[in-house]
Amino acid sequence: MSSTAFEKGMVVFLSILTLSVFSLLLIILATVFTKGLPALHWGFFIEASEDFGRAGGIFYQLVGTLILMAGAVLISLPVALGSVIYQTQYLKSETGKEICRQVAQMLNATPTILFGLVGYLFFGVYLETGVSWVTGSLILAVMILPTLQVSIREAIEALPDQYKDTGMALGLSPWSQIKTIIIPQCYYGIITGVFLGLARAAGETAAIMFAATTFSGIRLPESFSDPVPTLQTHMLVLTQEAANPETLAQAWGAGLVLLSLVFFLTVMAWILRSRLKMEAEL
Amino acid sequence: MENESHGMMWIFAGLNLIFLCCAGGLLFFLIFESYPIFKLQGFGFWLGQDWWVGEAYGALPMLYGSSLVTALACLLVLPLALAVAIFTSEFLTSTSRRCVKAVLELLAGVPGIVYGLLGVSFLSLWIKDVFGLLDGNTLATAGCLLAIMILPTVLTLSEDAMRAVPSEYRDNALGLGLSKWQVATAVVLPQAMPGIMGAVLLGIGRAMGETIAVMLVVGGLDRIPDPWFNIFSSAQTIPSKLGREAAESIGEATHWSALMALGLTLFIMVLLINFIGNRFLKRRSIS
Repeated sequence: MSSTAFEKGMVVFLSILTLSVFSLLLIILATVFTKGLPALHWGFFIEASEDFGRAGGIFYQLVGTLILMAGAVLISLPVALGSVIYQTQYLKSETGKEICRQVAQMLNATPTILFGLVGYLFFGVYLETGVSWVTGSLILAVMILPTLQVSIREAIEALPDQYKDTGMALGLSPWSQIKTIIIPQCYYGIITGVFLGLARAAGETAAIMFAATTFSGIRLPESFSDPVPTLQTHMLVLTQEAANPETLAQAWGAGLVLLSLVFFLTVMAWILRSRLKMEAEL
Repeated sequence: MENESHGMMWIFAGLNLIFLCCAGGLLFFLIFESYPIFKLQGFGFWLGQDWWVGEAYGALPMLYGSSLVTALACLLVLPLALAVAIFTSEFLTSTSRRCVKAVLELLAGVPGIVYGLLGVSFLSLWIKDVFGLLDGNTLATAGCLLAIMILPTVLTLSEDAMRAVPSEYRDNALGLGLSKWQVATAVVLPQAMPGIMGAVLLGIGRAMGETIAVMLVVGGLDRIPDPWFNIFSSAQTIPSKLGREAAESIGEATHWSALMALGLTLFIMVLLINFIGNRFLKRRSIS
């Protein structure tokens, strides 16, 4: 039976709907670019912000964001790698594995502001790290833990069974198997996870806004107890006082830089995943 | 050799314990810190309509705001998710489908603060002009913004659900003489429906917990709109309340405890939605 006129009409309708949804999403991207580009000039990246964000650049904010991202991944990576290795290589009980997976899913679904609240209370108040970049990195580290775990777990679970069988037949201890088989064969999962984790940490505002950041006063942290300015919170403050056109222009510029950073990290993760995965399989 | 291996096992087990403690600690602190307010006000905390710092803490306006904004986003996203999922999965070639997926997955990572900026500079002004309001920061603005925000995630997961229906179903149905449209709507869609529902629920969970974008456009008024269905009035959601007041409440025991109780409420709501969503997604993969 061939399509009736009604069916043809519906397909056209759906295609128009799909097209408009995509146009909407692309228009949003285009808006960020056209609004942000005028603010971008070479000085924007290397100057400090002046006059409460109305003029100058975003150098220290960018550095602050990078510090928090790097700190988060450095703290999170060993925990993510260790816990996934334990769950896949040592843990025998299926119930135990399922519980770990459910917990990771729960952590992934948790609203990020709760990480901010509880993280500030636990790290900042009880462990006395205060409002500082260390607190921020610790909070973000917990937040990106599931992201890293998923990438690493996928890589380890994609490993063919023969690798493990061969390792056992050679009489390798679990630790030797991890050292000589798992980590060399699965490092693409680790790297992908790191990039996706960095991207997630870079885009996060709510978790760090009252636990790790400052708007003015501090440029580069000089000790472990200093907060940092970040791109995200800088944008937040500028947006809240959105009445002034120059301030908004600066906010758009910062937004474009942030968005480009997140996109760059995500695309890098994809490219590295497909490239390195092919190499690992050769 | 054997000892070294054994030692490493304990290191990995310890790291796994740290991971479990992160999640356990989160739940523990939310309950522990919100205990004082429940002791003080009992479950009336959820029914109280007034939030006056130092006097009374009522969560109902925030609960209502969160639910309404999320429901609004859901209503806007569901039909679009269905339409786009059917079209991209059943009527597009595989190359263009892959392009579409890549764009969607990239867009899913756009930071909330960027949406917040867009909402402040465009959406709230449009809503103000189109509906002739005094203030563009309303529940409707927040709902629309959230719908746009979760759209990429929901679309890509819904499309996955459609593709997960085995291709033999399509071939059989085509062989029986059904048209492509009939195959898509009468064969594939019913099979994929639980998966699409799961996708929407996961998106809804994310929308409910979004802080920054909502905080910037929802207005921040702690009361239930009058009349209750008036979506063009300012209100407050749980995350926006937390984002606004957390910094100033540190050190004030009751106020902080009330905020943590709001956080606990949000946590339970999001987990519940997410749990149901994951159940839907899992049912799809078994059947």
